[in-house]
Amino acid sequence: MLPRTRRVRVALDVNGRRHVLQIPPHHTLLDLLRAHLGLLGTKESCGEGVCGACTVLLDGRPINACVMLGASAHGRSVTTVEGLSQDGTLHPLQLAFVECGAIQCGYCTPGMLLSAKALLDVCPAPSDEQIRQSLSGNLCRCTGFVKIIDAVRLAARRLAAGSG
Amino acid sequence: MAAATDGLRSPAGPLIGRSVPRLDGFHKATGRFAYGTDVVVAGMLHGRVARSPYPHARIRAIDTSAALATPGVVAVVTGRDLPERRFGALVKDETVLAVDVVRYVGQPVAAVAALAVEAAIEAAARIAVEYDPLPAVDTPEAALRAGAPLVHEAWTTYVAHPQLIRAGNVCGAATIAKGDPSRGLADADHVFEDVFTTEPVHQAYLEPRVAIAAWEPPGVLTVHSNTQLPFEAQTVLADLLGIPPGRVRVITTGIGGAFGGKLRVGVEHIAAVLAQRVGRPVRIVLTMAEEFAAAYPRHAMRITLRTGVRRDGTIVAKEAHALLDAGAFGGSSPGLPSVATLVLAGPYRIPHLSIEATSVYTHKQNFGSYRAPTGPQCAFAVESQMDMIARRLRLDPLEFRLRNIVRDGDEGPSGQVFGKVSLEAALRKAAAAIGWGHRRQPHHGKGLACSWWTTTGGPSAVYARLHADGTATLATGCAEIGTGALTAVAQIFADDLGLPVENVTLISADTLATPYDHGAQGSRSTFAVGNAARAAAADIRRQVLGLAAEVLEARVSDLGLRDGRVYVRGTPSRQVELGDVVRLAMQRHGGLVSSGTFVAPATPYKTDCVSGHFYPAFHAPSFHAHAAEVVVDPETGTVRALRYVVAQDVGKAINPRLIEGQIEGGVVQGLGQALRERIAYQGAYPLVHNFSDYALPRCGDVPQITSILIEEPSDSGPHGARGVGEPPIITPPAAIANAVHDAVGARVTDLPLSPERVLRAMRGRLEGAA
Ligand code: FES
Ligand code: FES
Repeated sequence: MLPRTRRVRVALDVNGRRHVLQIPPHHTLLDLLRAHLGLLGTKESCGEGVCGACTVLLDGRPINACVMLGASAHGRSVTTVEGLSQDGTLHPLQLAFVECGAIQCGYCTPGMLLSAKALLDVCPAPSDEQIRQSLSGNLCRCTGFVKIIDAVRLAARRLAAGSG
Repeated sequence: MAAATDGLRSPAGPLIGRSVPRLDGFHKATGRFAYGTDVVVAGMLHGRVARSPYPHARIRAIDTSAALATPGVVAVVTGRDLPERRFGALVKDETVLAVDVVRYVGQPVAAVAALAVEAAIEAAARIAVEYDPLPAVDTPEAALRAGAPLVHEAWTTYVAHPQLIRAGNVCGAATIAKGDPSRGLADADHVFEDVFTTEPVHQAYLEPRVAIAAWEPPGVLTVHSNTQLPFEAQTVLADLLGIPPGRVRVITTGIGGAFGGKLRVGVEHIAAVLAQRVGRPVRIVLTMAEEFAAAYPRHAMRITLRTGVRRDGTIVAKEAHALLDAGAFGGSSPGLPSVATLVLAGPYRIPHLSIEATSVYTHKQNFGSYRAPTGPQCAFAVESQMDMIARRLRLDPLEFRLRNIVRDGDEGPSGQVFGKVSLEAALRKAAAAIGWGHRRQPHHGKGLACSWWTTTGGPSAVYARLHADGTATLATGCAEIGTGALTAVAQIFADDLGLPVENVTLISADTLATPYDHGAQGSRSTFAVGNAARAAAADIRRQVLGLAAEVLEARVSDLGLRDGRVYVRGTPSRQVELGDVVRLAMQRHGGLVSSGTFVAPATPYKTDCVSGHFYPAFHAPSFHAHAAEVVVDPETGTVRALRYVVAQDVGKAINPRLIEGQIEGGVVQGLGQALRERIAYQGAYPLVHNFSDYALPRCGDVPQITSILIEEPSDSGPHGARGVGEPPIITPPAAIANAVHDAVGARVTDLPLSPERVLRAMRGRLEGAA
């Protein structure tokens, strides 16, 4: 049998739902989401904070979940890709990613979407330069980024039209 | 979730040439798409691989006792515990785990299965191996020197393809010989000799390779893995485990990027032997460090070109010698010299050719098939030299190319005869779009390059079935690796049946449930699977119309099929729902099913001018021209790509947006190789362990990219389509090198064009001028 490892208590909000968990202290926020909550949308690639595949929003700011301990998310609120669509309706960013061809293998997509959301939340009409800046921590090997930038631009326009 | 997808529904009407959104887009955008890293099997153990720290060493002893004593460990396997069976595509030179000798840093030596990942990691670290380090060969040149250690001392005993040319450390070689090159060179007014080198680059798919192997009753080995080629994995696993292939079910999971890196077995075989040993499912997920140390990256190459040219700019003869660093095992390498020779000849009319490419074993990881394998290296050499020659002869590089390119009806390097060749159009369009010949600012430069590539043949088969709700299932053995090719296939199939594309459900890549397919490789998926889908659609359409003719009391020839309905032409009110036809068929004989097959017709070539070839001709060839504009910082040597244009003959753009995606993605990968990417080695020791050591292009590095799609139909593609996935990566290093020269007069003949190299070349130019 495996030796029982120590556990710590974490209480946090994920996509608007409150969770109270007991997790091993060395588990990352990414482990918490994937292994403890079964939210598999957030991806792991490099595992060391350089690719952005694991990007989630922590109190609205994008962070790499693979390099943050799950325990440090105590008392905070997390948004993952599963929290983007509401009642079966895609978030405008999700819809734009599909329509613009911003998704190929899609492994970077959840992280890209959340980095893009963080941008649009604070900057509803970003310049292309701002879009590039805010996605610079997210690697994509498939698309060459062109259509990802197109998609963020389109979503921003639609969001502005919808709210204005 | 009907409401959610409303925005994604495509309007009715013809589907060919329409940029419909990819069918898996919704699931990928919502995080529900299951990749290899998301798949788990009940009761599974976790596997971990212990790897060699040496490029070449004898294994004196392996002590597994500490590993076995680690809490949670169930089994430890070493090479000696397994029957000695070897695998490999053209030469069987590799064992699952090293036996007696290790041949590269990262080679699997032992594997553990444990109840938890942490326990597996700890146990793997506790496997104590005593090594006697041996001298290693770290380059092909070193491996070819007299007296160099043999990477495989027993190479003569290995099973190999009878046509494969091998000798000592040479694991594959191919030549093209045409005309009389020495006379051609002697008759030329000028002979130019130049040497080019490239370094290894990695596919850098974001999702590591994963396999979960489970033995299921009645004795079927089921493996879920993110492989591009489930049928190859099936054969290899059956061979290695000594079981019939019909008992091996390989199911491709969702794939998070592949680019040729997931063709050959990577981890499936290790998971399978562990699962066999412990009698429970075993899952192995590789780490990025393992991915950089032991994958199938692009070969380093060294290329020497001697080209003879007449004063008027006509090329008369070419000699080329190329060495590929194969690494310690064959993998894809023995077959690739063949491909290299065709790219080295280039898309040019050259009467006298002597071209030779050789794959050489070294004590490094097994370099393999990264998207358009050998293409970027060879095109970098050929197209850089074209520019160098043009400038030496004071010819415009565009004019010089136009004077020499192949044209309609010409003969290719191995004697294949081309149909329509759209290369002049591609060159002119790319040049026009970049503003070729226009004045430019200081330190800005423009470069042109062109090349050609194949649409890999190989067979494809599909099953099709129509359902009573008017939807269809299409089952293909081909995996969707992210390109969207299977969406294009669904478009082709749906178009033939007058169905909305969303009504097609794809089942893919399962060696026991889907028919055989040569696989997602070589720019062939839309081409070959699309053709098989057309055959299946034609069959099922005949069945539908036959039944509908009875129902509608009309002649089959008067019927049309549109929007899920069969109607009588001229009187569209006389119609029947497709679903009703299916229901009728179900009552009569069990429903509407069909199959379709396709194999690309062989492309004739001249057998007497090639040797050692496994790809002697380029099927349904595509021609492409690229143009780049760069700016070079004269102080730092840093190159920035500003604008990039691709003009590519795609035959027929089934889904233009998907093709643009292939072009943009391929160009940016090519820019990575052009400017920064390299798996650095110190001797035979790799220095790259993760993305932090490997300079992948990021969002801010990307220039404006313009895609110009030329549609010159191929003879054999569905609706005339040609392969599109690989070509975009071939030409960027050459286009960029040429643009850098145009900008600052500095010629860099080694990839990548790092700032140091550019600066050095600039300094050399100044010194040369002084
Ligand atoms: S997986 Fe977290 S940054 Fe790469
Ligand atoms: S779509 Fe594959 S990594 Fe971005």
